[in-house]
Amino acid sequence: MRGWWQWVRRRWEVIFRKSAPELELDDEIRFHLDMEIRQNVEVGMEPGEARRRALVAFGGVERFKEQVRDVRGARMWDDLIQDSRIALRALPRQPAFLLAVLLTLGLGIGGNVAMVGVLERSIFQALPYPEANDLVLGRVTWEGRVGFTVSGPDFFDYRDQVRAFRSLAATTPFPVSATITGVGEPERVLAPGASVGFFETFGVRPAAGRYFLPEEGEAGGPPVAVLSHGYWQRRFGGDRGVVGSTISLDGTPTTVVGVAPEGFRFLQTADLWRPVQRGVDWASARQFHNFVLVGCLAEGATVESAQAEVDALSGRLAELYPDSNRGKGLNVTNLREALTERYLPTLRVLMAAVVALLLIACANVAGLLLARGSARRSELAVRSVMGAGQGRLARQLLTENLHLALGSGVLGVVLALWVQRGILAFVPMDVLGDIEAGFGWPTLGFALALSVGTVLLFGVLPSVRVARTDPAEDLKAGGRGRSGDRSARFRSGLVVAQVGMTTVLLAVSGLLFRSFRELVRVEPGFDTGQLTLAEVQIPRGEYPDPEEATRFFTELADRIQAIPGVTSVGLTSHIPIRHGGGNVRIALPEDFGTGGVFGRLAYQRRVLPGYFASLGVPILGGRDLEATDDAAAPPVVVLSESLSRDLFGDRDPLGATVAIDQGGDEPAIREVVGIVGDVKVQSLAASVDFAMYFPYLQAASARMGLAVRTRGDMSGVVSAVREVLRGLDPDVPLDAVTTMEEAISSSVSSERTIAVALTLFAAVALLLASVGLYGVLAYQVSRRFHEIGVRMALGASASKVTREVVVGGLRLTVLGLLVGLPGAWLAGRLVQGMLFRVDPADPMTLAGVVGFVATVALAACVLPAHRAARVDPVEAFRAE
Amino acid sequence: MAARTDLLQGSLDLLILKTLALEPLHGWAVSKRIQLLSRGALEVNQGSLYPALYRLRDRGLIHSEPGVSEEGRTVKVYSLTRKGRQALVVEREEWRRFSEAVEAILATG
Repeated sequence: MRGWWQWVRRRWEVIFRKSAPELELDDEIRFHLDMEIRQNVEVGMEPGEARRRALVAFGGVERFKEQVRDVRGARMWDDLIQDSRIALRALPRQPAFLLAVLLTLGLGIGGNVAMVGVLERSIFQALPYPEANDLVLGRVTWEGRVGFTVSGPDFFDYRDQVRAFRSLAATTPFPVSATITGVGEPERVLAPGASVGFFETFGVRPAAGRYFLPEEGEAGGPPVAVLSHGYWQRRFGGDRGVVGSTISLDGTPTTVVGVAPEGFRFLQTADLWRPVQRGVDWASARQFHNFVLVGCLAEGATVESAQAEVDALSGRLAELYPDSNRGKGLNVTNLREALTERYLPTLRVLMAAVVALLLIACANVAGLLLARGSARRSELAVRSVMGAGQGRLARQLLTENLHLALGSGVLGVVLALWVQRGILAFVPMDVLGDIEAGFGWPTLGFALALSVGTVLLFGVLPSVRVARTDPAEDLKAGGRGRSGDRSARFRSGLVVAQVGMTTVLLAVSGLLFRSFRELVRVEPGFDTGQLTLAEVQIPRGEYPDPEEATRFFTELADRIQAIPGVTSVGLTSHIPIRHGGGNVRIALPEDFGTGGVFGRLAYQRRVLPGYFASLGVPILGGRDLEATDDAAAPPVVVLSESLSRDLFGDRDPLGATVAIDQGGDEPAIREVVGIVGDVKVQSLAASVDFAMYFPYLQAASARMGLAVRTRGDMSGVVSAVREVLRGLDPDVPLDAVTTMEEAISSSVSSERTIAVALTLFAAVALLLASVGLYGVLAYQVSRRFHEIGVRMALGASASKVTREVVVGGLRLTVLGLLVGLPGAWLAGRLVQGMLFRVDPADPMTLAGVVGFVATVALAACVLPAHRAARVDPVEAFRAE
Repeated sequence: MAARTDLLQGSLDLLILKTLALEPLHGWAVSKRIQLLSRGALEVNQGSLYPALYRLRDRGLIHSEPGVSEEGRTVKVYSLTRKGRQALVVEREEWRRFSEAVEAILATG
């Protein structure tokens, strides 16, 4: 016990208090020299000579102290450095082994580091607001189901009456644009609405000027705007003088009152913000759901307490305004959770996939290490005979593995930078803003921990196993001892696990791929070919009445129609797939407002005549909307087929009237004049496509989408359309130009990305697993070289030997499949939410996976089997 | 001062252990004792004595504690531990085998 304590104390001193033992040492040397000098004097030397002799006899004092220090330094470090040197010398001598391990582990580590990097950047750093943890998102609920946007009047009630919020603000979450004129070229800017107190809720200070004043949020308040930092820099060169100046926004003179701080954004990119005014426009009625709410919790309030208070108020509102607020509520969620919940399923699946990949990679590397260990048995046995202990050998092997892991870790981080960039590019998390690729310390720390962790996972067992050698046996048998059998069994187990995990990965990727194929096979309900899309917004101030706006768009359509190569052009307020837009309540007039029947929510579109023909939407009954359906004519509507059937059932809808919510007490009554085919409104995956079409003349819109169909080459049409537009009004820009095919493709980009990414992971996993299988079989064949030779000499045919090897390989594969299939079934359930029209236990997919795995496994068996069949008995005996 | 034999690598440890087995000594006394017991034939290189002492102490074979020299100065006094006694037996046996082997070879000439 005492010895142990002294040992600890000495280490402690050596490491932390170098000076203390040094003093002790000085004393000892001084004593020694003094004694030596005295002895020399006693035999008759001069004192000076006695001292010189003593010093010579001792040798340099400083050099000696250095030696003592060396002896006392921790022995472990010496060993570590020595092992390190051995490893760095030994590893490059087997370049194939080194490369295989580095690539395998590098891939495994790289995938994980990339995913953690994505999580770090998206989930943990995406809210650069001072009060991020106290921020909550408010979303509307319908009968308990969480929707998104809240109505303006409801917002004002929640803001003024719920005390759990220190502040509550509203903003328009969809892209709202405006045209700036009067300063150089006309420009379309993103100009969402923001309530008074919006910026203050986030706790950010203006870069210049101020934010909105309370009176600017009331009806009739002065028109003002706050610029974003980016726009301020880009357009005004960061000039502070712009605060207080006037710009023309959609034809309205607007005063710039301030600039938001650098990098500030919420949900979407903005060039400037305009105040939401109580009771005006977007905020005019409880039926118009245009805002998403963001709040900062008051001191002591929690999400739960805020929710309880909000629920009580929602109940009161429902009693006060039954027509608009029955069944309506507000959901309060922590902002971070609310914003990332959409991406979590995708990120979770990717994360699970990379973890599985790493495990498979580790299994492979463990197999490689065991094989290498077996090959090195003689070497280790010799070292063991020379006196190296088992612990010492294991430590040396572990040091070697540590080098491999750290090397792979470095490679992994480099790979991860690419992978992370890819994931961020293909899983666009636009709500969170542009996420820059790169890693912070947390991710790098994770990379290091992961590298070291993998050593423990794949390195310890093989190291101990290999180090536990029986020298006598190993030297005698040349590496074919009993322990060889044990390691072969262990490797077989690894292969079974690998095949199992690969099966799961393949199954999930197969499901997602089939789901993606189902998705893109969905008929959107119109002809998608040769369609060029663009948007045009006219400044409201310059086209004050619908007549002029109509004239503008009709003229535009006519002129585009005249462009050579253009077959048709359709104008609509909402281009299908690209814009969902808002939906409004529609019901039969007798049901409306009776409180019993809610009716349906349907998307509303304002279209110009010829729209249906141009997009290729079939008119199933009645007529198209026509130029004569103007403000003076009776209000009419065209319904989508499913909406019509839902409202009218088997009755004939034509000539009947419907009631459409328009925010006030009285609904708009319109006559149904036509029925058209269903069109996918929001996305290909949407299940319901209730849509109603109003004639533009009866429901004008300042912003219209163009869908131009061309013959042959589409490349020239955009500049031609731009030319036409300039001829009509040089102040109106053309924006959001794309093609329908691109629009559809980008609408399914996240589904495609996850399918492709998982398929890629699964392919790598399959490759690794087959290499693992190959390794085990090749190793077995080489170990049984002699035995096979004997049997062939005794008359066993080559085909019998071949069959044996193949059967051995397939046995492992079948075991792996047996392990993997239940896992695949379970994983299928877990990703069920991401599947579109595919059963999580889709038999086709599972059968395909089994066939695929078996085929690849068979291929992995071929080479070892071939080698076994070609064993020459004479060779086998000679080798002995 | 007659011709002196340098110590064979590794035998210094054995000699220190043997010396301390007789009685606890401080460093200088150890070097003098070895010189004395070998009748002046073995000169301990003082530069390697202290590293050896510290090495043995780190291996737990010897133990040091503060003591007082004949002149009344504070010194470190080394003594053998139980482990050191066992090591002495083992190393002594090995040395015997080694020297016998060397002797046997030399005897053939």
